[in-house]
Amino acid sequence: MTEPLLQVRGLTFGYGRELVLDHVDLDINPRDFLAVIGPNGGGKTTLIKAILGLLRPWSGEVISRIPRGQMGYVPQFSTFDRSFPLRVRDVVLMGRLGRRGLLRRYTREDRDDVERILERLKLLDVARSHVAEVSGGQLQRVLIARALAGDPAILFLDEPTASIDAESREVLREILEELNQRIPVVVVTHDVTSISPMVQRIACINRRLFYHGPELDQDVLEEVYGCPVELVAHGVPHRVLHHHH
Amino acid sequence: MPSFLDALSYEFVRNALMAGVIASVLCGVVGTFVVVKRLAFLSDGLSHAAFGGMGICYFLGIDPLLGAVALSLAAAVGLGSVNSETVRSYDTFIGVLWAVGMAVGIVFLYLAPGYAPNLMTYLFGNILLVSQRDIVLILVFAVVVLGILGLFFQGIVAVAFDEVFARVQGVRVRLLMTLLLTMIALTVVVLIQVVGIILVVALLTIPPVVALMLFKDLRGVMISSVLVGVGITLGGLMLSFYYDLPSGPAIILLGAALLAVVFAAKKLTGEAPRLLPMFRRR
Repeated sequence: MTEPLLQVRGLTFGYGRELVLDHVDLDINPRDFLAVIGPNGGGKTTLIKAILGLLRPWSGEVISRIPRGQMGYVPQFSTFDRSFPLRVRDVVLMGRLGRRGLLRRYTREDRDDVERILERLKLLDVARSHVAEVSGGQLQRVLIARALAGDPAILFLDEPTASIDAESREVLREILEELNQRIPVVVVTHDVTSISPMVQRIACINRRLFYHGPELDQDVLEEVYGCPVELVAHGVPHRVLHHHH
Repeated sequence: MPSFLDALSYEFVRNALMAGVIASVLCGVVGTFVVVKRLAFLSDGLSHAAFGGMGICYFLGIDPLLGAVALSLAAAVGLGSVNSETVRSYDTFIGVLWAVGMAVGIVFLYLAPGYAPNLMTYLFGNILLVSQRDIVLILVFAVVVLGILGLFFQGIVAVAFDEVFARVQGVRVRLLMTLLLTMIALTVVVLIQVVGIILVVALLTIPPVVALMLFKDLRGVMISSVLVGVGITLGGLMLSFYYDLPSGPAIILLGAALLAVVFAAKKLTGEAPRLLPMFRRR
């Protein structure tokens, strides 16, 4: 049996006085494809940020066998300022930063790798465009390319399918499938159906981690959302089937 | 009418030109960060905080520059260590810093025994009064600031661009952000005493904004920003010479005119302005 690559133990976190994550336990194994679902405000993004070390938990811990700087992260909303004078290629190149010391410059090898990644994500056409000039779907691919440039040992994606076009969706599916041959992939999503063929395990989070296993059923979803929801609902995060009591 | 070349025989004109060129090079690079990170207010606040340090040093009988540098460095380090998660924006801190710095400076000046100089001249320096010693001073600072920025360039750019992602990658965000703020502080404090606060703020903002409208990548923006700065400094000094105008304002107004022309040209071709940091993207 393989040891988990990453273990979350009793993770508790909140903003201000409001508890968002309550004693969450989660294992991520070397070849996992994990979907994290749950209602808005349920703590999905917060969990990912805590695992990435962006938030300091109130209590509990994240035990990781992944070296610092080798976690790939594709944020939901680009956290950067799109008026910054950078071309798409420069942004992707920044993904190499974690692999270098503070003083090192980008090398020929860095640039060649970035070229390959741009090609794989069908971004070569816009490589010289300003980051403010690309479409939403292209920007999503830029963020993925940047995460991949660091040759990550694990990849976290926050709502990768939220605002993308058909082409980007297809590219994303191929890339994730290929990556999952080597590394674990964790996807936060409202829309499990868009990536469902690949998903091996689903974690439902609504403050507590409600379910954690290979299959999802109606009972679990009801427990997580607090009311009956439909499993297959394209793009609709939370469709209520029956009347609330 | 005497030609501008004749004017070069005067030492004060040569000094003004040299100081202007050094200031433009330094401001072109540092100002690009100031504009894209929206730190113009910070630069202004630091310069007023520096005034407090000058007052204290004057009271103690030490070179006021020392106090200015020390205080603005402390302010920069303090702001750099503020946690960006708990603080939405720096501007309140900067406002307080600004007011307190000025107040401290004025109080210590008042308390200083004997003849109190008009420390306002430190804030509103005049490019035509630049001495040889001043030029050496700003040259040394320019080399230090540009050297440090060059050394940590990729990291500083990454942190300035996307702090969250830089943190995920294990980049030392606080350190680099503090370094950037420190370099901005040094630039502002040293240059204000030479060319005056108004010209420093102008050189930190106008050339990078013009450059941002012309280029899409950081290198292009920085190089053209330096060139624009040098251009308006030389042009402004010539205008000042031929039309007997105050030199600082001549440089600034020439820059503003250039900004307006480039903006209008870009507006007519229907691009660029939306890429500028001060405009909200749709």
